Amino acid sequence: MSLNPLLPFLMAGDPSLEALPALLAEAKALGLEAIELGLPHSDPIADGPVLQAAAHRAIARGATPRRVLESLAGLSESPDIILFTYLNPLFQMGAERLKQLLAPTPVRALLVVDLPFGEESDLEATLRTAGYPMVPLLAPTTTLGRARQILLDRPDPGPSACFAQRFAYVVARLGVTGTGQGMDREPISRRLEALKGLTERPLAVGFGLSDPQSLSVIRTMGATPVIGSALVQELAEGRSLREALTPRMVDDV
Amino acid sequence: MTEGFALPTRFGAQSLGGCYAPETLMQPLLDLEAAFRAASVDPAFLAELRAELRHFVGRPTPLTPAPRLAAKLGLKVLFLKREDLTHTGAHKINNALAQAILARRMGKTEIIAETGAGQHGVATAAACARLGLACTVYMGVTDMARQAPNVARMRLFGAKVMPVEAGQGTLKEAVNEALRAWAGQCDRAHYILGSALGPHPFPTLVRSFQTVIGEEARAQVMDQSGSLPEVVLACAGGGSNGLGLLVPFLGDGLRRVAVEAGGYGTALGEHAARLDGGHMGVLHGCKTLLLQDEHGHTAETASISAGLDYPALGPELAALVLDGQVEVRRASDEEALTGARMLCENEGILPALESSHALALLPALVAEGVATVLLGLSGRGDKDLSTYQARLGI
Ligand SMILES: Cc1ncc(COP(=O)(O)O)c(C=O)c1O
Repeated sequence: MSLNPLLPFLMAGDPSLEALPALLAEAKALGLEAIELGLPHSDPIADGPVLQAAAHRAIARGATPRRVLESLAGLSESPDIILFTYLNPLFQMGAERLKQLLAPTPVRALLVVDLPFGEESDLEATLRTAGYPMVPLLAPTTTLGRARQILLDRPDPGPSACFAQRFAYVVARLGVTGTGQGMDREPISRRLEALKGLTERPLAVGFGLSDPQSLSVIRTMGATPVIGSALVQELAEGRSLREALTPRMVDDV
Repeated sequence: MTEGFALPTRFGAQSLGGCYAPETLMQPLLDLEAAFRAASVDPAFLAELRAELRHFVGRPTPLTPAPRLAAKLGLKVLFLKREDLTHTGAHKINNALAQAILARRMGKTEIIAETGAGQHGVATAAACARLGLACTVYMGVTDMARQAPNVARMRLFGAKVMPVEAGQGTLKEAVNEALRAWAGQCDRAHYILGSALGPHPFPTLVRSFQTVIGEEARAQVMDQSGSLPEVVLACAGGGSNGLGLLVPFLGDGLRRVAVEAGGYGTALGEHAARLDGGHMGVLHGCKTLLLQDEHGHTAETASISAGLDYPALGPELAALVLDGQVEVRRASDEEALTGARMLCENEGILPALESSHALALLPALVAEGVATVLLGLSGRGDKDLSTYQARLGI
């Protein structure tokens, strides 16, 4: 059974940095095309309790941004990685150092939660030129007009580019990341339809998706569901990626 | 609506500030700026705010000469701008009330706030009670313990106080949680940020609602003494009372000084002095001077005063400092306690621990030859009685 389309989220350094290469290899063996990898931050203002706790565990175990990126260097058995992060760690590293650290890794795109388009245009242009585009984020509060601007500012590299560098991330609900109970189907469906009128890009939908039904509903809408908090929780409890993901891949709604 | 912000979002030569917010909050921030711009030129809003500041807050606040303390310290003239005499006891009410009126105009029915010392929380709870808005205040558990009277006051005003357990349980964590809560309720709630920090337009909004302090003080000092002092002085947490007092004096040939919390030491984690050891970073939606480690993780901070115990200096104040318009100094926990005691004994005024940091700098200014000072007494010390009792042995 194929897991695709599915975009799992892992927190780098949780359960441990040493376990990360094996987790990525398992993801690749499961046929996953891309994963989001969270860079643990001290003040994750867009994350709910599960990812906050995971980030703090990872930091306490020494998962600094540099060590995370170094642990990804040279990995060939990995899906494409979308690095999910807050701006300040990247800002402190600086564009040049960041490019050097990213070069030998499977990171293909950056999702910087607290970086709206236009706030750091130079940094963003430098990174895009180097092969690390920023993922456009579209929230429930994002008007269609603003969505059009965002998608122009963070342009579609075209159908030959990989999913990681092409997709737009649709935030499913108001609020922060976390596990959810079911999902309000109608508004998401309407938003996805409207966005499909604006762009040819693949769309991923995340925030609060954890149960098989929600994941399946997103797939039937032609989008890729993101599973984050629920997965991170299960990995922290000692389950493997396969054990955590396969029970969720039922196809009836 | 596809336009961006209309007001400047950046401050100073190094372009501090900005709007580093999650996408969910961008439209609410754009809407807030639009509402603020409309209100600033709406005579009805301005009249309501003026009336509330007068009849509810108690403005103008007095400018009190402090001759006995001045003589004791070797100053010729010392004036105190008495924000401690506002309703709820600190300058925070100027901003909280104005934003609450703005929120009601925007059709918001719920208010979210963070608080450190509890003064902003109390001010917001009071403003919400007066305007009939539901109010939820996020407060770190450490601060809830050290500012217990303010927790009780918020609850009496009908606010829900949400304890924040994360990290050090202080202001930084309260802001994190308030921002998260706002993202979940931004369709119906307004977030009343309590200091001149956060993503645009908050720093500009908060400063503009606080400059009433300096505007009054400047007119009062001219009226009472016929001249300007050599130094205008305020404490600085995020920077709202500092900007409020100092900005109206920017065109004047005098020294403008902000005092940060020196805590109990000079190593990272032992203080909240952003000028010593802070460097440029992004936290809570703005780029500014930030206490952090080399990985871009926010550093821990320490201060006897909950209101100054915050790792970032507000971006506009930081820009004024970097551009040479405002000096920044630090005062330790011990010096602040001494400053508080001197004001109590010589003038019969009990200052907040935050304001005591400004008082603590007076001996150093005297040593530099300064003779005339206007000091912003940002709040009263009732909330700090238990700390004063424990630390001063009374
Ligand atoms: C009495 C008082 N003064 C000063 C401050 C510091 O804040 P700001 O720098 O925004 O004025 C606080 C904050 O809680 C306060 O309660």
